[in-house]
Amino acid sequence: MKADARTIPGGWVALAAPHRLGGSTHLDILRSWTLAAGIVGLCGTVIFGASAAKVLLVAMLSAIATDCIVGYARARPVVGGLSHASLTGLLLGLTLPATVPWYIPAIGSLIAVVFGKIVFGGLGHFCWQPALVGRVVLQLLFLPTLSLSLHPTWPILAPGHLLVGRLDQPQRVEMAGYGGWFAQPHDANVQALAMERPVQTLRAFAQGRFRPDGGLAYEPLLREKLPPWQDSIFGLVPGGIGETCTLALIIAGLYLIYRGFLRWQMPVVMIAAAAVAAALLPVESGGNEGGYDWFPVFAVEQGRAVGVAYVLYHLTSGELMLGAFLIAGDMTTTPMRARGQALFAAGVGVLTIFMRLYGVVECECYWSILAMNTLVGVIDGRLRRRVFGMDEEP
Amino acid sequence: MSLLLNLLGPREGFEGGLFLPDFKQATSRRPIENVVARDPLRVPLQVSRTMPTKPEVAVGDSVLRGQRIAALVGTASVSVHAPTSGRVVEIDRVWTAREGFLPCAVIEPDGRDTAAPCNRTWSEESMVLQLAEHGVIVPAPLMPAHELIRQATQAGVTDLIVSAMETEPYLTSDLRTLVEQHGRFLDMTGELADALGVHHVYFALPYRHRRVVKRVCAEAAGRHIEISPLSDRYPQCQPNLLVKTILDREVPPGGTPLDVEAVVVPLTTIRMAADAVFSDRPVTHAIVTVAGDAVEHAGTYRVPIGTSVRQLADRVGLLAPVRQAVWGGPLTGIALTRDETVISADTAAILLFSQVHATNPVPCIRCGWCVEDCPVGLDPAALVQLEPASSADEQTKAHLKTCLDCGLCSYVCPATLPLAATIHRARERFCTTSSHSSGGA
Repeated sequence: MKADARTIPGGWVALAAPHRLGGSTHLDILRSWTLAAGIVGLCGTVIFGASAAKVLLVAMLSAIATDCIVGYARARPVVGGLSHASLTGLLLGLTLPATVPWYIPAIGSLIAVVFGKIVFGGLGHFCWQPALVGRVVLQLLFLPTLSLSLHPTWPILAPGHLLVGRLDQPQRVEMAGYGGWFAQPHDANVQALAMERPVQTLRAFAQGRFRPDGGLAYEPLLREKLPPWQDSIFGLVPGGIGETCTLALIIAGLYLIYRGFLRWQMPVVMIAAAAVAAALLPVESGGNEGGYDWFPVFAVEQGRAVGVAYVLYHLTSGELMLGAFLIAGDMTTTPMRARGQALFAAGVGVLTIFMRLYGVVECECYWSILAMNTLVGVIDGRLRRRVFGMDEEP
Repeated sequence: MSLLLNLLGPREGFEGGLFLPDFKQATSRRPIENVVARDPLRVPLQVSRTMPTKPEVAVGDSVLRGQRIAALVGTASVSVHAPTSGRVVEIDRVWTAREGFLPCAVIEPDGRDTAAPCNRTWSEESMVLQLAEHGVIVPAPLMPAHELIRQATQAGVTDLIVSAMETEPYLTSDLRTLVEQHGRFLDMTGELADALGVHHVYFALPYRHRRVVKRVCAEAAGRHIEISPLSDRYPQCQPNLLVKTILDREVPPGGTPLDVEAVVVPLTTIRMAADAVFSDRPVTHAIVTVAGDAVEHAGTYRVPIGTSVRQLADRVGLLAPVRQAVWGGPLTGIALTRDETVISADTAAILLFSQVHATNPVPCIRCGWCVEDCPVGLDPAALVQLEPASSADEQTKAHLKTCLDCGLCSYVCPATLPLAATIHRARERFCTTSSHSSGGA
C-alpha cells in the first residue's frame, strides 16, 4: 500500500510512559514567582521612589552576575540559572529599605547566591531560603545602617511626590498629630516624611515602654502612636521596599495560588497563627502597674474593641505579609505535603509574634522562617502519607 | 436516584489523584465508525506469547469472517478468528505493541466480508468454553477471560465490579460503547455474576457523563446491579482504586483485587463476551480511539484486528507529521516505534501526536506535587533515589510493589524527572516475583 508522503515519516520518538506531561516546569514556577515579586517591587517603587528601583535592580544584577561567574568558573550551567538568581535578588531587594547605599544589596545578593545556594549544591539542594540568608547576614554585617533601634525614623515619600520624589531630606512627623498619609498637605518642598515604623512601635508597646494613660493602654497606642489603618493596607508606612504594601502582597499571593505554585495553606495558616499569637500573648504595657496583660484581643476601652485593631496592626506591619505571601512559600525549603506546610507556617507565625513581643532581634519574620526551614526534615519525616494497603507506619 | 446523585456527587474513595484535562471533546460525541478492510490484514495467530494456539489455515485457503484460523492449545489460551472474508496469502510474523513479534496470517480481503455461519447453541454450562472459543480476553493484564473467571471462582470472590471508567485523557472507546449499546452489557454483567456466584455486582462509570449514567440507571432498574457513578479523577480507572472506592477494601502491596475477594472486569471484556455469548460473534474487531493533535478525523473506530497503524493513519487522515505514536492511554501507554504495528484485540487507543513532550531533568526542587498526587501515598522522589542501590529493604519493596504505574508523578513533576519509569525499573529489579496487578483492567 502507498502511504501519503506526509503521514508517517520515520523516527517516532520512543519514551517511557507517561507520554503527555502537565507542562509546568521549574522555570515556569520561578518566572511566575518573579512576576509576583515584581508586582510588589513595582508598588514599592511607587511608594519609595527611584531609590527603591535602584536597590531592586542592583540586587538582581548582582545575583545574576554572581550566578554567571560561578557557573563560568565551574564550567557547567547553573540549574534554573538566571530565573532563580533574579528571583533571589528581587526577594532580597524587597526586604531592604530604599535608603540603603548601593553596595548593601550588591553584597547581600552575592552572599545569598554563594552561601545560600551554591555551597549547598545549587537549586533544589539548599535548606535555607537563600534570599533570607543574604538578608540576615546583611543585618549582622551592616547593623548600624539597617538597625531599627539606631535609626528610629525611616522615610517615605510625601503626597504629590510618589514615584518621582527623593527620600534624602525627609521632614520629621510626629505620630501624635499625624492624621494619616492621605491627610498630609501637598507641599512642593517636602518630598519625604520620616516617621517610626509601626512594627517598632508595637515592639516598644509590648516591652512596656508606654505607660498606661489613665487606665487606657491600647487606645493611646492606636490613636497617637500608629498610622491609620488605610496607610498600612496601601503600604504608605516606612519599612522595607516590599514589606509595607499589604494589598500588592495579597494580589501577588493570590496570583501564585491561582497558578498552583503556592499552597493556600502557607499564607493563610501563617497569618492565622500570627493572629492567634498576637491575640493571646501578653503585653507589658497593657496591664496596670507594669504587670503583663494577657489576651490583648479582648481589650475594650471606651466602648471600642481596641484589642482586635491591635491584632490587625500586628498582621499588617513588619515583614509578616511579605514572608507569608512571597518568601516562606519557597518550594525547596518547605515541607513537601500541604499539612506539613501548614505546620511550618503555624510555627513561623507564632515564632514571629513571639520574637516581636519579647525578642531583641530585628527581622523577626525572616529569622523565624530560617528557624523553621531547619525543622523541615523533622516535619517531613513525621508527616509521611500512609501507603495504600499497608499498616500505619511508625 | 438521579436527584440523589446530583445532590451527593460522586463517591470519593482514595487520597491523591488529579483531574486531568481530558481532550475527549473531539471523539466523545462521534459515533463508532467501522473501518472496512481493503488492504491485506496481518492477523496475529495468537494473542500473546503465553497463549499458544494451533494454526488451522494454510497459504491459499479461503476464510470467512468469524472463521477460526487458530485453535487454542491448553487451558489458558484463546482461539483466533478471521476479521474479514478473503484468502490467506502468507504465513509470516508481525509486530504487536505489547507482545513483540507474533506469528500471523496475512489475509487478503475479497471485499464481500461474508460471515461464517453462526451456531447459536448456547447453554449456561458452556459459557466459559464459549468465551475461550470466541477469543474473549481481558486487556490488562492480558489474560483469557475464562482464566480470570477460573481464578475468581477459586478465590471465592463476593463482589464483581464492571469498570467503564476511562479516566485517562483522549480515551473514549468505553464511553462510546456504553452510549451505543448499554442494555447488552447489563445482560452480560448479570450472566457473568451468575457464573461467578458473587453477592454484589457494581457497574462503575464516570459520573461526569450524566446522561449515560441516567440511561444505564434506567436500564438497570430491576436488576441486581448497583450503578456506581464515580468521579473521573485520574487514576480512578485502576482496579485497586475501584475496589477501594466502591468496596472500601485495600489491596495489599503487590496483590490483586482477587486478594480482597473482588474481581474487576473491564467493559471491553464484557463487550466481547456479550458478542460471543448472545450473538455467537467471535472477537474480530477492536474498538479503538484514534486521537491526538496529528489526527484529522479523530474518533472511535471499530477496526479489524490485523490492521496496521499505518493503514489506520491513512484511514483517519493526518494534519501534521507524527512525531510520537502511543498505543493505549497517554499516561500508561506504550510508545510505538514502527508503523507496521498491528491493532490487536486488547488495543484501546492509538494516539498520534505531532509534538513530543520532551523532558529535561533537573534536580528535584521538592515541590511535593508527586507526594500530594500519588494515589497510593508513595513518595516517588524518595523512591527514585535508591536507583543505584543494589538491594532494597522489605518496606521499600512493598512500596515499589504498591505503585500502580499510573504515571501521575512524572506527569506533574516540574523538574521533569522520569519518576514513574524509574520506579517501574526499580520494581522489576528488586521485586523479581512479578505478581503485580493482575486481576482486572
